[in-house]
Amino acid sequence: MTVWNTPVIYLLSILFSLFFVLFVLSLVRRRRLREQYSIMWIVLGVIIVVVSLKSSWLILLANLLDVVYAPSLLFLIALLFCFAYLLHLTTVVSKLSDRVVKLTQELAIYQHDEQTHKVPQKQEGR
Amino acid sequence: MNLQSKVLVIIPAYNEEGSIAAVIQRIRAVSEDLDVVVVNDGSRDNTVQVARAAGATAVIDLPFNLGIGGAMQTGYLYAHKNGYDIALQIDADGQHDPYDIPNVIAPIERGEVNFTVGSRWVEKTAYKSSLMRRVGMIFFSSLIKWVTKETCKDPTSGFRAADKNVIAMFADYYPVDYPEVEVLVHISRNGLKFREVAVEMSERQAGSSSITPLKSIYYMVKVGLAVLISATR
Repeated sequence: MTVWNTPVIYLLSILFSLFFVLFVLSLVRRRRLREQYSIMWIVLGVIIVVVSLKSSWLILLANLLDVVYAPSLLFLIALLFCFAYLLHLTTVVSKLSDRVVKLTQELAIYQHDEQTHKVPQKQEGR
Repeated sequence: MNLQSKVLVIIPAYNEEGSIAAVIQRIRAVSEDLDVVVVNDGSRDNTVQVARAAGATAVIDLPFNLGIGGAMQTGYLYAHKNGYDIALQIDADGQHDPYDIPNVIAPIERGEVNFTVGSRWVEKTAYKSSLMRRVGMIFFSSLIKWVTKETCKDPTSGFRAADKNVIAMFADYYPVDYPEVEVLVHISRNGLKFREVAVEMSERQAGSSSITPLKSIYYMVKVGLAVLISATR
């Protein structure tokens, strides 16, 4: 199916990626997503918007790489991006787990020291 | 027994109210000079109260379960912060005999090695183990022999002692799960020495082992990978 000589998949792709970029930006605005993690998503969204608008660029690249069906190149790019980003996320999770363990240990030892009055207590009153 | 060094006995405990009191009392009977820290790894039973009542020097109560590596490291962190010369780790289930403690720490007190492992295979002892455990131990022993060129016949034993260097090292890094084997490679790669010492071991007195058949496969794969990677560090 085509509209204005453009396959519908490209139109859907434009709409979806525009919505996606706006959603990412709103997450950052509401402080639900850190800027540092949002950059890659915004870059991906913009890339998809661009290749959907300028589908000739995608077809050119597909020809260069001997890809018969151009939109499948889009899938490949998105999939590789997801793999790379998931790997990045698991490194973030590993770092966070290490920090949680460290904090838990420090807290437990501190609580023990406090209960046995090794830590100087704050003076009551004035 | 009289001690020259300041020694801390670390007992990580997860739901061990049935056996921990006897372990602490036996340690106390060996020497009054030994400090005992129980690290409660988020137990749902009365491990903390039982350990306090049995006369532990300190009971550190982790707010949730960290796993054996995280709990053990808490003990080493405590030893490091409080300036202990030697830290000895012993299981809370009663499978290690505290009367062996002087033998386990002796090579460290004499300054011969940095780390000792209480092993049931160095001399003939009264211990019988399951087939799976034997297979695992042969696998891990070969792995350690290959990577560190050192001999360790019982690398999964949790009856161990560490000097100040190793305490500082463990306070900084200790593997999260199934740490026993990886730790030996880590010590060796950092230019420190370990040695096996013969000890008695009996069947666990209460509670149950955390190792199921499926977990033991994960155990071998995870530790194998960790050992190979730490050998490249």
